[in-house]
Amino acid sequence: MEIDPLPNGTGSTAATTTTETTVTATLPTAVSNTTPSSKLSQLTESLKLEHQFLRVPFEHYKKTIRANHRTAEKEVSSVISSVADVADSNEISKDDAVLSLTSLVSRLQGLKRKLEEGSRTENLQVQNCRARLDHLESVDAENLSEWNNVRFKRILVDYMLRMSYYDTARKLAESSKIEELVDLEVFQEAKKAVDALKNQEVGPALAWCAENKSRLKKSKSKFEFQLRLQEFIELVRAENYMRAILYARRYLAPWGATHLKELQLVMTTLAFRSNTECTKYKVLFEPKQWDFLVDQFKQEFYKLHGMTLEPLLNIYLQAGLSALKTPYCFEDDCTKEDPLSQENFRKLAMPLPYSKQHHSKLVCYITKELMDTENPPQVLPNGYVYSTKALKEMAEKNNGKITCPRTGLVCNYSDLVKAYIS
Amino acid sequence: MQSSTLEYQSELAELKKKLQEVSPLNQLEGAQKELNIALIKYPKALEKVFNPDISKAYRNIEFDSPIVNQIIASHFYRQGLFEVGNCFITEAQDAEAAVAMRSLFQELYQMLEAMKSRNLEPALKWAAANSNKLKENGSDLQLRIHHLQFVKILQKGSRDEALKYARTNFASFAGNHMAEIQKLMGCLLYSDRLHESPYAHLLSPTNWDTVTNELTRQFCNLLGQSYESPLSATIAAGIQGLPPLLKFMTVMVGKKHEWQSMNQLPVPVELDKEFQFHSVFVCPVTKEQSTDDNPPMLMSCGHVLCKQSINKMSKNGSKTFKCPYCPTDIDSTQCRQLIF
Repeated sequence: MEIDPLPNGTGSTAATTTTETTVTATLPTAVSNTTPSSKLSQLTESLKLEHQFLRVPFEHYKKTIRANHRTAEKEVSSVISSVADVADSNEISKDDAVLSLTSLVSRLQGLKRKLEEGSRTENLQVQNCRARLDHLESVDAENLSEWNNVRFKRILVDYMLRMSYYDTARKLAESSKIEELVDLEVFQEAKKAVDALKNQEVGPALAWCAENKSRLKKSKSKFEFQLRLQEFIELVRAENYMRAILYARRYLAPWGATHLKELQLVMTTLAFRSNTECTKYKVLFEPKQWDFLVDQFKQEFYKLHGMTLEPLLNIYLQAGLSALKTPYCFEDDCTKEDPLSQENFRKLAMPLPYSKQHHSKLVCYITKELMDTENPPQVLPNGYVYSTKALKEMAEKNNGKITCPRTGLVCNYSDLVKAYIS
Repeated sequence: MQSSTLEYQSELAELKKKLQEVSPLNQLEGAQKELNIALIKYPKALEKVFNPDISKAYRNIEFDSPIVNQIIASHFYRQGLFEVGNCFITEAQDAEAAVAMRSLFQELYQMLEAMKSRNLEPALKWAAANSNKLKENGSDLQLRIHHLQFVKILQKGSRDEALKYARTNFASFAGNHMAEIQKLMGCLLYSDRLHESPYAHLLSPTNWDTVTNELTRQFCNLLGQSYESPLSATIAAGIQGLPPLLKFMTVMVGKKHEWQSMNQLPVPVELDKEFQFHSVFVCPVTKEQSTDDNPPMLMSCGHVLCKQSINKMSKNGSKTFKCPYCPTDIDSTQCRQLIF
């Protein structure tokens, strides 16, 4: 009987190594030579923020590879040992031997199909990694505003997925055709566990813990313990005391070595009823413990998949609000082009620090343009300042006379004094 | 019977030996090892080139979810993404207040949608209804829409209709826009071959784009809304502002609790000029931003310092000092406060 050489993952290896060398080359070549250097460095800096964008599909791919490898290993070694059993057995009849071997052949055929499919999936996933690298590389001066638009949509989809607004995420991704650039598929894994936890069931979440046992152990995660504690509490709530104790013996005791205090606290709920007034234990029975579990799950999930712990939207919002926040934003005549003229934005910006600048930047009250060396500021006799451009235009239309738009003071263009501000 | 038994037993032994030779498990192992090297190198490369933790500068404050969701829903509606916005409001359940935005902007997108199929009626109606306010804002939008309609009629080849249209609608604009109207009248001569005439550029679709932009701009203006979505403006500012903050945090290792309570960012963040909405004066001597208590003062040489710097350098007005930029003698009592 001939055994065909197994389809191995070397196809993927080649793809991965070339992908890796492109990573280091991506940033310098991302922008064409025609872009001014300050814009170039600003763009390079903003590209460096995209770690999550590349890491998530990679972690997903790695997981698939490892799982496929484990399946292959298990099946193959099982078949080999079965063959050995049949060969070594002295009592086996010819017919039984043939039967046994035939079943092994069909097992191997099943494995081959599975491996082929697994290889296809792996290829798709590594193509996705590649596509994202290409996307980062594709930005240049011409398509910059569109590329930024796509980035903005990616940030919104990330927010939707984390908040479990899956339909909106999908609609948004489809409408801008960015399905490849966002993690809809990865979050499907989270959906099951999150929905179940919201329904006060720990099953899928526990299954997820089992799937990722080794990695959770490496990061010393106690999430599984927390799930078990909650199940225990539910048994106590239902007054199933005997089952609760058995449950604790089986599932909670192993965690006693590392988390004794917590274990003891929860075990003590046996002594109290679920409607206890004692605050220390009352809080354990509250439904918001389940919300806490949902948040915990999400944090563990994000960590495992290479995502930031906070939504990208929040991170950029905080930075943006702070960078824009000046005391003048809160005045009544703040221009409506400033986001911080809006009530909602002001509320969000309240606890955030003000922006800081090291160089003066002056904006003409009339034209809203910058007053710099090409359009210097000029000072009226009453101390009010406007841009040369605006004042010249006003003087030309009014026989050399200037009227201050804020105070009504009238003077001559010749009465103005130039201010030199660096 | 016995010989056949021996046969198949030796076949089986042969099989077992062959399997051991081929050693599929070792093959699998070997392939996986090769792959593992790449699987370890790639994330390391990623972490070196990219910033692995961009939440280092994040303050641990709870963003009020209803507020954020309202902002997002308003954004969807003002950008015309009504379907996405509706789906979001259903899923988020705490952004109902943004529905007001939907009713406001539906009108705009109906007009824009119509214009996509070259139908100017809704836009004309709106411009006529808001004609006074548009003129107040110095916008010639109404004339521009008439302009497009005029060219459209002319393209169909009916010169008389175009002339009638011009007579009805252009008169009120004659005062300020005579030159443009004259140009349009010139088109009448070429009614059936505009694309060959000197006025061929009027057929370009970019004219429609310009009017679309102006329509959007004026629509937002009259509603008291900004032209740019405030959410996309803030995020764009955040993308520019985050790298210097992160750089600072790598230096500020171990002082995270200080960062959580600062009143002002510890490092300057220079944004592009489209984000500069307010004048900020920074005294060149102290590098501090001016405030109401410490306003910018103009010296007789034309240079500007903040009040505290002038007081310090003149010892509270008791002596003259030299301007740090030019060696002019400055008398602090002659300095004037500036208002930007």
